[in-house]
Amino acid sequence: MEVLLLKVPSFKFSSPISCCSISTRSSSYVKFGFRRFSSLSVSASSTVNEAVTEPSLASPSLGHTTRPHFPILHQEVNGKKLVYLDNAATSQKPTIVLETLQSYYKAYNSNVHRGIHFLSAKATDEYESARRKVATFINAFDSREIVFTRNATEAINLVAYSWGLSNLKRGDEIILTVAEHHSAIVPWQLLAQKVGAVLKFVNLNQDEVPDIDKLQELLSRKTKLVVVHHVSNVLASILPIRDIASWAHDVGAKVLVDACQSVPHMPVDVQSLNVDFLVASSHKMCGPTGIGFLYGKIDLLSSMPPFLGGGEMISDVFYDHSTYAEPPSRFEAGTPAIGEAIGLGAAIDYLSGIGMQTIHDYEVYLGRYLYERLLSVPNIRIYGPAPSEKTERVALCSFNVENIQATDLATLLDQLHGVAIRSGHHCAQPLHRFLGVNASARASLYFYNTKEDVDNFIQALNDTINFFK
Amino acid sequence: MLSPPFITASHTNLFTQPLNKNNNHSPLTTKTHQKLKPPIISSSSIKSQRQTHPILTAPSLPLTTSSITVKLNRLTSEFNTLTEPIERVKRLLHYASLLPPFEDSDRVPENRISGCSTQVWVVSAMDNDGKLWFRADSDSEISKGFCWCLVWALNGACPVEVLHVTERDLGHVDILGLGLKAQSRINTWHNLLLGMQKAAKDLLIRRELEEKAFYSSMVVDDDDDHSGGVFANGKLSGIGVSLVYMH
Repeated sequence: MEVLLLKVPSFKFSSPISCCSISTRSSSYVKFGFRRFSSLSVSASSTVNEAVTEPSLASPSLGHTTRPHFPILHQEVNGKKLVYLDNAATSQKPTIVLETLQSYYKAYNSNVHRGIHFLSAKATDEYESARRKVATFINAFDSREIVFTRNATEAINLVAYSWGLSNLKRGDEIILTVAEHHSAIVPWQLLAQKVGAVLKFVNLNQDEVPDIDKLQELLSRKTKLVVVHHVSNVLASILPIRDIASWAHDVGAKVLVDACQSVPHMPVDVQSLNVDFLVASSHKMCGPTGIGFLYGKIDLLSSMPPFLGGGEMISDVFYDHSTYAEPPSRFEAGTPAIGEAIGLGAAIDYLSGIGMQTIHDYEVYLGRYLYERLLSVPNIRIYGPAPSEKTERVALCSFNVENIQATDLATLLDQLHGVAIRSGHHCAQPLHRFLGVNASARASLYFYNTKEDVDNFIQALNDTINFFK
Repeated sequence: MLSPPFITASHTNLFTQPLNKNNNHSPLTTKTHQKLKPPIISSSSIKSQRQTHPILTAPSLPLTTSSITVKLNRLTSEFNTLTEPIERVKRLLHYASLLPPFEDSDRVPENRISGCSTQVWVVSAMDNDGKLWFRADSDSEISKGFCWCLVWALNGACPVEVLHVTERDLGHVDILGLGLKAQSRINTWHNLLLGMQKAAKDLLIRRELEEKAFYSSMVVDDDDDHSGGVFANGKLSGIGVSLVYMH
């Protein structure tokens, strides 16, 4: 694997194919189109399917070169160096995002869209620039297809209430998998109760991934919507979204993809995948909390009634009725999280500067290392598919160790070793019930983690297991 | 034959012994222990009672020197002397090992404490003197340690005392040194207290309902044969014995 070297503190790098500069204020960036990033090395860039090899000793890993950009990682907890392995819950923020947020509030905070003074114009400009950055990042056709929301959960609820209420009726079916996050299940339960729709769940197959063959069988003319994750936050598996979208469209159904665990970690191209709706959260991709987005095809969004009512989303307001703005404004009621959206834009600039393919390649390598080291722990059960030529896993592992409760493991890892993992059901209770467990522990990586982080985690885990013996 | 869910006097001494490493007693395992049964009054009658109950709806009273306060203070001092996280964990796991066996049949959803990231179950009972006795268990060793500590602190207290323990009282007992003051989904310590307080409320209401039923049954009708009164309600638990003596 070729590693992109970042020069600290400057983020500029050049290559024959693409270049990107990141600044705290300007919105300059280069449109990348479909992902083809190159690295600084003279060799050709790697692709997803190439075997990943450990970087040569001469070149520091992506984790080592990016760690200095994340001040929060350089601290001690409970007297030990922090080892942060809870990235599927939330990611850490690089200095540039922190500076962008501060710069916004310090220099040009102002309400967007309606003001005519200098500060308002600048804030509006940066806010809409952030929207264009999101659109480019996922290769949306038009930036009007990006609706800013509070997070992915709100984005899914938006689709449920706006598209769902006006398009679904009694007897219509919504297909989901048992591995969906609660935010991709509960809004549809609420909708189904209102309109009389039916939810159908696809189980896991023997490889512990959602049974795609079963999903295909469940599709029928009654199916109006398929809701699936791109990457599972527990199983670490990746679904073939392009195929699923194609099958769904064949029966006249729409597809909503929960991309919370994919957009931060790999190139995602909504046009190539041909999905109807896609959601993601900023805080999982080096951006601030409080902002996320819904991608929706412009024809769909244009046909959808409003979700929340208020300022910004209207055209004209009378006593007894109002007319509404075009998308995306139609779905952005009230003053948005302006600084946070601009912060997300800065995060996207930062990630694009590294290159999503580079990030993905590094995480495939580190994720495989994590998996293999975990496998060596006695009496461990790792959930999800085993990685192979055919089956890719992302860089997270949910697991249980026999006779030790997951929360006890996580508590001791934190208290005695400064290692931060997560325990519980990871907002996937149906999945845990299906797997026959009450809870699991989960270690999840991001590009600023290193091989040493994994080694420290495994050592701490072994120590913790011995403590309970 | 009445089967009151009470702990015999010989057991209560075990709950007032000072906390020390050598306290290996498992309080509820001697053969004279009676199985604790959860309350049997329906939740709807309890709910309506709870809303109008004079004690439950009164503004909170300050706890002065209740036994619970004393015990919580002892826990606070004990864990405060343990400055290393590993020592705290070891102490907690030691207390976990003291937790008596918990009936599998009591590991049911009705007894489960909501809001914990681990599974925690609690059952409770009231004795002849109106004192509360709890049993708790968890699938997590650390939560078991919390269970033992809180059960030790609250056992033998009367419902009013239990109900007036506040999160602030509990907040001082920062067992794991996490500084967890705010309520959080993972805060077993606080959720356990809330569960035990709910059980205390239910038991208090149950007792009063039973007393009411008992006294109503003592009102003699012209057609009554006088013998049904005291023994008519076989479900009176813990109360029937003392009333027989009064009669």
